[in-house]
Amino acid sequence: MSFRKNISALKVPHHKNTAGMHSVRISPPKEVLLPMSMHSGQPAVPVVSVGDSVRVGQLIAREEGKNSSPVHATVSGSVTAIEPFVQDGGKTVLSIRIASDGKMEKDPNLAAPDVHDLDEFLAAVRSSGIVGLGGAAFPLWAKLDAVRRSPIQTVLINGAECEPYITSDNRTMVEHSDLIVKGVALLKKYIKAEQFIIGIETNKPDAIAEMNRVFADDPAVEVKPLKSVYPQGAKQVLLFNATGKVVAEGQRLASLGVIIINITSLAKMAQFMEDGMPLVDKCVTVDGSAIAEPKNLIVPIGTPIRDLIEAAGGLSAEPGKVIYGGPMMGKTAHSMDEPILKATNAILVLNRKDAQRAEPTACIHCGRCVANCPLSLNPTAFAKAMELEDDAERLAVLQKEKVQLCMECGCCSYVCPAHRPLVETNRDAKRFVKKSKAAGAEKKEGGK
Amino acid sequence: MENLIVSSSPHIHSGASSRRIMLDVIIALLPASVAAVVIFGMKALAILAACVISAVLSEALFNLATRRKQTVGDLSAVVTGLLLGLNLSTNVPVWQCVIGSAFAIVLVKCMFGGLGRNFANPAITGRVFMLIAFSAVAGGAMPAVVELQASATPLEQLANGADQLPSLWEMFLGLHGGAIGETCIAALLLGFVYLLIRKVIKWHVPVIFIGTVFVCYLIAAQDFSFALYEILSGGLFIGAIFMATDYVTTPITETGKMLFAFGCGLLTFIIRYFCAYPEGVSFSILIMNILTPFIEKWTANQPLGGSKHA
Repeated sequence: MSFRKNISALKVPHHKNTAGMHSVRISPPKEVLLPMSMHSGQPAVPVVSVGDSVRVGQLIAREEGKNSSPVHATVSGSVTAIEPFVQDGGKTVLSIRIASDGKMEKDPNLAAPDVHDLDEFLAAVRSSGIVGLGGAAFPLWAKLDAVRRSPIQTVLINGAECEPYITSDNRTMVEHSDLIVKGVALLKKYIKAEQFIIGIETNKPDAIAEMNRVFADDPAVEVKPLKSVYPQGAKQVLLFNATGKVVAEGQRLASLGVIIINITSLAKMAQFMEDGMPLVDKCVTVDGSAIAEPKNLIVPIGTPIRDLIEAAGGLSAEPGKVIYGGPMMGKTAHSMDEPILKATNAILVLNRKDAQRAEPTACIHCGRCVANCPLSLNPTAFAKAMELEDDAERLAVLQKEKVQLCMECGCCSYVCPAHRPLVETNRDAKRFVKKSKAAGAEKKEGGK
Repeated sequence: MENLIVSSSPHIHSGASSRRIMLDVIIALLPASVAAVVIFGMKALAILAACVISAVLSEALFNLATRRKQTVGDLSAVVTGLLLGLNLSTNVPVWQCVIGSAFAIVLVKCMFGGLGRNFANPAITGRVFMLIAFSAVAGGAMPAVVELQASATPLEQLANGADQLPSLWEMFLGLHGGAIGETCIAALLLGFVYLLIRKVIKWHVPVIFIGTVFVCYLIAAQDFSFALYEILSGGLFIGAIFMATDYVTTPITETGKMLFAFGCGLLTFIIRYFCAYPEGVSFSILIMNILTPFIEKWTANQPLGGSKHA
């Protein structure tokens, strides 16, 4: 891999309209809806019942199973329902509905955790409910837990924020640099990491200046300005551009002695260690062509999207699409009543015109998808493989072409002049490979 | 309910479209088309019109007859017709243009599944078809199509050892015999620059193609101005800029494209230098078109982080 000089990346319009806007707290929502699955692992299990009164920060669902994460009340009030909620992709999860009393009373039992060693530190992070806030929503403690298996030398702090529109990580860096300093100190103390690299795209000069200021005297911390190209903040891209390393297929990032932590996750962790307040609110960028006054809002997790739009001056046009996160990788909401999740960093509302997608035409083999794939994959090969009749042949081609590596960053679809839904095809192909492999494994088991 | 659109990411697009790309190629071919009419007169205009109209009509009729979605709006048939026309000489009767163009569209493109599915460049295949079909029909007479015009082309003059050759400057401006669109190098370069600015193609393929021919002649003949003369002659520039860069029939990877261009250059030199036939650009590109799937296989990208064993 040493011959590779750079990773191809896209220049997408930045639309960082809200970069300079100080985050503002919205007035308490009337109601919040907290799904048990706001992280990547198994769903949490409710520990409250309908009618219980709860206060901000109180545990309402405990973690259960692999890579799970607890859920805490984000408003004070009473539990009005524990009911199934259809999440993105049609999966149904239990959700806890809390009617707010408008007082936002804190749970009086909250206190800074008493931490002396690694075990206590990891246990504390585990109880905070903090997950990867860059979007992956992988529980933070599980990521840090890797240090038990092999030492971590380098912590890559992800402040790239490469998706258009979103500026909430930028606001964290500008407004809460003290928490970032404390977070770094905690990781130095308990994880024993020696090197910290904060990767920030150059379109955030304020954040770079602030990070340089607070870490001026710390030789262990390097503030690394990165080119403002998409997808600079993706795991493999950031790793390569900041350290020159590449994580191989099937290999864990931690086995290279590196972990990547989103900068807001780090700040939230430091906050929790200070006052014991778990992850109950988030800074969310509200923007898009149908939003009247784009803003950075601090909102309780579980707040309906509708409340955020209202706080951002309402709609300026008929809405066509509501997106959780950025326009390159974000998922669409079915309704404005859906809640803000733990890892939601933006809500974009596009007007009817911007929400439309052009009809796909025939692939003209132009190679733009290949040239623009950050991982040097070949989306046209995936699409061709998916047309094969024979399942075994299709599986073989897809595995050979490494479809599993695709991170669905969207570059291929973005550049395709034929408007082909390449990301969707890649996703289907990945699902097919996963299913076929699982079926194959089952067959083997059965034969034994 | 708000009636929101629910769809897969990404939710924004670069704005590029196949139609716009085809339009850019047409615009890039305009200087050469104008030059053709200026140099070769109204007969050139008749050839271009016949080829374009025949290409578009045959695609429209094919789609109607086979009850397919109408695709003439993507402008690719216009590009094929225009390119074929520019590669013919004024000796070709208009009815032959109509047949050649229809052959290129229907047999080479539509029968393989339409735009993006053909393995060989339709314009080149159409030209080669005309070369073979109609010269044979003409019997002992001079081949009517392509290379041979009323006055012999410089390539033939070179091959036959003539002493009255056009100057290098005349070669650059295209004031000599040949196919109507291939002679004016200045106009073709103008189109090349436009395609580069519009990012429709990269410089590598034309430069490597032409460069390979140049270097081969330099080595073989040890004569700088002779090598220069060779690259300015025949269909090398129009082929290298507009046909060897065709997306559909060339490799998809960057390294594959470069290998393709090198192969085209080498074959052109071999045909021109060692074979009895004076021109080799069309055949070279056609042969490399056929090799494209193999080149793609050899030059596949190594995925970042992909291991061979996993």
